[in-house]
Amino acid sequence: MSVRFLDLARPSRQHWLGYLLLLPAVALVALIIVYPLFVSLDLSFQKIGMATLSAPRKPFTLENYHKLFTSPDFWNSCWVTIKLVLVVSAACFAVGLGTALLVNNRFKGRTLARLFVALPWAVPEVIAVVIFAWIFDSSFGLMNWLFIKLGITSQMVNWFSEPTAAFWVVAITMIWKGYPFVSIMTLAGLQSIPEDFYNAAKVDGANAFQRFWYITIPVLMPVLGVTSVLVVLWVFRDFSIIKVLTDGGPLKATQTLSIMTYDQAFGFFNMGYASAIGIVTLVLCVVASLLMLGRKSQAMY
Amino acid sequence: MKIIRKYAVATTVAAMLACTALPVTAKAEVLKFVSWQKDEKGIGDWWGTVVKEWEAKHPGNTIEWTKVERSAYADTMTTLFAGGTPPDIVHLASFEFQTFANNGWLEDLGPWVEKSGLNLDGWSGQDICNFQDTTVCIMMLYYGTIFGYNEEMLKQAGVAVPTNYEEFLAAARATTKDLNGDGIVDQFGTGHETKGGGGQYIAEMASYLLDAGARFTNAEGKVTIDTPEMVEGLTRWKTVVKESLTPRDLSAGEVRKLFADGKIALKVDGPWIYSIMQQGAAKDKLKLASVPFDPPLGGSSNILAMPSEISDEKKQLVWDFIAIATSDRFQTSFATLAASTPPSPRADLTEAKAQIPHFDLMAKSQKAAAEHKIDRIPTGLEIQFNEFSKMIQEEAQRMIIEDLDPAAVAKTMHEKAEALQ
Repeated sequence: MSVRFLDLARPSRQHWLGYLLLLPAVALVALIIVYPLFVSLDLSFQKIGMATLSAPRKPFTLENYHKLFTSPDFWNSCWVTIKLVLVVSAACFAVGLGTALLVNNRFKGRTLARLFVALPWAVPEVIAVVIFAWIFDSSFGLMNWLFIKLGITSQMVNWFSEPTAAFWVVAITMIWKGYPFVSIMTLAGLQSIPEDFYNAAKVDGANAFQRFWYITIPVLMPVLGVTSVLVVLWVFRDFSIIKVLTDGGPLKATQTLSIMTYDQAFGFFNMGYASAIGIVTLVLCVVASLLMLGRKSQAMY
Repeated sequence: MKIIRKYAVATTVAAMLACTALPVTAKAEVLKFVSWQKDEKGIGDWWGTVVKEWEAKHPGNTIEWTKVERSAYADTMTTLFAGGTPPDIVHLASFEFQTFANNGWLEDLGPWVEKSGLNLDGWSGQDICNFQDTTVCIMMLYYGTIFGYNEEMLKQAGVAVPTNYEEFLAAARATTKDLNGDGIVDQFGTGHETKGGGGQYIAEMASYLLDAGARFTNAEGKVTIDTPEMVEGLTRWKTVVKESLTPRDLSAGEVRKLFADGKIALKVDGPWIYSIMQQGAAKDKLKLASVPFDPPLGGSSNILAMPSEISDEKKQLVWDFIAIATSDRFQTSFATLAASTPPSPRADLTEAKAQIPHFDLMAKSQKAAAEHKIDRIPTGLEIQFNEFSKMIQEEAQRMIIEDLDPAAVAKTMHEKAEALQ
C-alpha cells in the first residue's frame, strides 16, 4: 500500500517528484533568508540592546515601532531614501536607455563602445567609491580643480561637508555604478525587437521619435518593468557606497534607511529598534515592487 | 581458560579506556584571539611576542590569532558574542567595551587580579576599566599626544614653534598658503579628520576644548557642556575649520600622510605619528615638541578582557595570557617594540629612552594627561558614547555649516547629552 502511495511514476504523483527535488533548495532558502527574517521580526517587538540567540525572549512591546514613527530621524531617512531612489533610478534609466540605443546601432567601434558602457558594472563597488572620493576630494580633488579652472566657482567646494553637495556626490556615484545594468538589460530587449516593426512603421511614414515611442518603448516595457524593480531595490538597500563616501552625513543628508539600520544595530547597539527599521524597509520594498510590477510593466500589445 | 579470557577482556577494556582517556587529559587547547592590530608594525610585533611566550609556557596549546579590520571590528565582535562564540582573549577598543560589559559578556577580573597579585596602582587609564564597580578589563594603552611640526614651513612663515593656543593659531594661519596662486590652497596650517566617525571627531576637537578648560561631564558624570569654557573651545574649533586651516573631509590616515609629506605644518597626534613621519617625503623637516595645549589630550586606546561564558579551565589560560602581557618584562618590551608609553608604572624605560629620541616627550604627555584624568570617553556617558559622539559631531558640523553661534550650539549639545543619559 505504502509502496503504491510513494510511486512517483504514477501520473497523479508525478508533481511530487518536482516538490521533492525543490525541497533542498527551499530548505536552504528558509534557513538563510526566512529564519533570520523571523528572528528580525521577533526582535523588532522586543526592547533589546545587544541580542543574544541563547538569551530568553524579552516581553512583547510596540515601543520600537512607536519610537520609529515618532522619530524625525526616521522620516528624514525615508525622505532621503525616496529622493535617492527617484533621482538615481530616473538618471540610470535615462543614461542606460540612451547608451543602449546608441550601442544598438551599427557603427565602427561598436564592440568597444559596448565594453565602455558596461565597464562601471564590472568595477567593484568599493573601488568605484574610492575613485569618486578622490574625484570629489574637497582639498585636492579633480572636480574642485576643474570647477576653479573653468571659473564655475572661485573657492573650493566642500563636497562632503555640505549637505546638498554630499547628496549629489552619492547620487552621481550610484548613477555611474547603476546605469550599465539598465543599459545591458535594455540592449538585450532592443535586440529582440523584430526589424519588420520598424520597416513597417517607416513605410507608414513614422519618424524616428514616433518609432521610438510607439514601437521601442511598448515592446521594452516588460524588460523595463523588471529592470526598474531591480534598480529601485538596489538603491533602497545599497549600503557600501554611502557608508564609504559619507557615512550618512553631513547632518544626515545622506542617511538612508539602510544606513540608519546599520547605525542603530552596530553603532548604537539597539538591535530591537534596528530590526523595526529593517522590517519597515522590507515592507516599503515589497510595496514598491508590487506597484512597479503592476500593469505598467506589461507589454502594450 | 576462563580466567585467561577474563584477563584478556579486562586488559583490552583497560587499554581501550587508556587510549580514549589519554587524549582527554592531554587535549590541546586552542585559544581564539581576534585583534585589529595583528599586522601593525611595532604593536603587532609586540602582541606576537606575547603569543609566543604564552605558547612556550603552555606546551601543546596554541593561540589562533586572527586579524579583523578595525572598520568591521565592532560588527564582528558583536556577532561573535551574540552568536555565543566569543573569542577567548577579548581585545576591544576602550570606547566600545562598555556595551559588552553592560550586557554581562565580560568576566569580572577583580578576583583574578587579586589572586595573581597584579598591582594596578598607577596603571595608566585603568580607572576606565572599572565599569559599574567591577574590573572588566585591563588597559593596554593610554597615550598622551605629541606635537609634530614642519621646521622649514615655520621658518618660511617667520613664526616660532608654538607653545600655546594663540601661537598655534597664528602659526596655522601663517602657514596656510596657496603657493602658486591658482586659488587652491596647497599647504595647510594644521590637519584634522573631519569626515570619520563621532569618536574620532571628538578626539580631533578635544585639544581645543581641553585647553579652554571645557569638559563634557564632571567627575560625577553630570553633563557640563553649557559653560563659557565649552563655548570658547567650540569657537576655537569653528575658527580652525571655518578658516580652512585644515584640509576638509579627509580620513585620519590621509591627514597624517599629508603631514609626513610636507603639506601640513602642525599636527597634534598620538605616539604613532613618529613612525608615519619617518616614512614621509618631508621626514628631514619634521620635528617633535611638547603639545601647545594644556592639559595635553590623552586617551585610552585598547583593552584586554575575558568572556564570562567560557569554561573555568579556559579562563585560567586566558588569565595567563593577560598576566604575560601585563608583566614587567613585557611592559618594558612594549615601550621599545611598540614605541609607545606602556600603562605599567613598573616598566623599565631605559632602553626605550635610548632608542627613541622623543620618548620623554611621550612619557611627559602621558603623565600630564593621566594626572588630569583626560580621556575621550566622558564619565557617565560610557555606554551611550557612540550615540553621544555622533550627536556632538553633528552639532559641531551644524555649527560650521550653518555658521551658528557656539553658545547656542553648546546649549543644544548640553540638552541632547542630558537626554541621552
